[in-house]
Amino acid sequence: MAESGDTPNPTKGTEGNIPLVKAFTRFCELALLPEGSKKAKKINDAMVLVCHTKGQLFAVSNVCSHQEKFLHVGRVRNCKITCPLHGAQFDLATGKATCLPGTKPIPTYEVRVVDGWIEVCV
Amino acid sequence: MNMKINVVNGEARCPDAPSTQEIIARDKVGAPDWVCSESYQFLGNEDISTERYIDSAYAKRELGTLWKTTWQFACREEHIPAVGDYYVYDLAHYSFIVTRVSKNEIRAYYNACLHRGTKLRASGTEGCANEFRCPFHGWSWNIDGTNKNVTCDWDFPHVDRKELCLPQARVETLGGFVFVNMDDNAPSLADYIGPEAMAHISKWKLEDRYIVAHVSKVIPANWKLTMEAFMEAYHVIETHPQVAPSNGDANSQYDTYGDHVNRFISTLGVVSPHLKGRISEQDILDQFTVGDSSVLAGADRKLKQGETARQRMADMMRNMFEQATNADLSGVSDSELLDCFSYTVFPNTFLFPGISLPMVYRFRPVKGDHRKCLYEVLFLRPVPKDGTRPEPASEICLEEHQSFTEAEGMDLGFGAILDQDTENLLLEQEGLEASAKKGLTLGNYQEIRIRHFELMVDKYVNG
Repeated sequence: MAESGDTPNPTKGTEGNIPLVKAFTRFCELALLPEGSKKAKKINDAMVLVCHTKGQLFAVSNVCSHQEKFLHVGRVRNCKITCPLHGAQFDLATGKATCLPGTKPIPTYEVRVVDGWIEVCV
Repeated sequence: MNMKINVVNGEARCPDAPSTQEIIARDKVGAPDWVCSESYQFLGNEDISTERYIDSAYAKRELGTLWKTTWQFACREEHIPAVGDYYVYDLAHYSFIVTRVSKNEIRAYYNACLHRGTKLRASGTEGCANEFRCPFHGWSWNIDGTNKNVTCDWDFPHVDRKELCLPQARVETLGGFVFVNMDDNAPSLADYIGPEAMAHISKWKLEDRYIVAHVSKVIPANWKLTMEAFMEAYHVIETHPQVAPSNGDANSQYDTYGDHVNRFISTLGVVSPHLKGRISEQDILDQFTVGDSSVLAGADRKLKQGETARQRMADMMRNMFEQATNADLSGVSDSELLDCFSYTVFPNTFLFPGISLPMVYRFRPVKGDHRKCLYEVLFLRPVPKDGTRPEPASEICLEEHQSFTEAEGMDLGFGAILDQDTENLLLEQEGLEASAKKGLTLGNYQEIRIRHFELMVDKYVNG
């Protein structure tokens, strides 16, 4: 099940005169999410799912855009996750729905590793 | 002398060229029995009616007869390794959820809710489920097919939920392939394939391979016409002139096995009889290509005095394929490494057990259009020596206008060959529709697979 989030870790930048804040939040230690595993957690009211597959980390919404059920028990294969309930499938890199009954994308989040911790920008 | 004179039907072979068996017999690492046998049978020389390719009513009859009573390759076992994994297999309007219900049991459920008929899983999809739940009203079924939920069951006192199990088609597995059949009275898969072909398939250990690439494309021609483009090497000299310098095309070997299996063996690393005397051994080596040519990168391609191109290619490929695929090929013959072995399992699957051309083809009619079919190419590589089975590759769906060379994982040279094969097909489909002649005329030997195939189509469709 999803867990509550940690304190945001903002990275500041500017674009013209508008200040931008990329708030990365610690998700979990990388060592706790080995290749082939996934983990869900609540960050800033967003349900975030991080998947470690094919040597990459992907962070997406844990909520299926089809009928709003959790995705974290779905199967990940070839960088796509399939909702176990009705079979909607999403590209982990883009969030795009790749088959029916899914038609709408799910949000994706920037993810990085800092000092052995996975951080997600929500 | 005219070779056709005084030759019994089907006995003529390419003159002044070594036979496939003679070529293979010269190899350093000898071939197994299944390679060294021959099984040709003359099956008549009448024209094949064109109605079967161009008449929508004929296609409709096929759906009610042939497709309902034959064993069809639905998916690979590696698509569904865990309990609850499923793969939706579609054939025109038919659709099945092929799922693993226990470690050693796979079932195929008709893909429709027993309430108001909604598909329980969308066509062409795969995944893992805890239950098969209809997205419309939430009726659901356990993985074993028993009913799990009828929403507001107080309103359905007339429904016996114990009886409300998902209907099943038959399932059997062979060589890592999952086959389905809608006919409860059909023979077993082993009887359907027959003892001789079963003996061949059991030697290949295709269950120890995995899908490294999977490409599909809609072809603008009838499914049978499209399949037949791949059943003979007779077309190589005209359609693929670039490979003829290193392909024994006109002297390929053709065999039939029972009702449902046929094959050809087309030797590689030897010159086409059409080009005899015009090509040197070095030329053969220079122009040799394979379906997975990435493994040949950096190879020494200069022949020594007296060395044959075929033997060099066999030696080279044994070493380089072992390295590239991390597989043990020490027991594999030169012929298996090099040559193209093309088997058809009726109605719609081709198996290529060789190493250099390690494909599976599948052809399915497109729903509602007898002039189109879906052609799939799967490349199977040996599972790495450490036994770790990589995930099966996702299907890459090409648009009709796209080249096979655009698919990720497709060798450019091989993709170009597939383009050449399929570029003929719209012309053939339209030509048959325009023709004043109502039959196809076939060669007795080189096109025996087409005749064997169409005789069986006739048997299923017309009884």
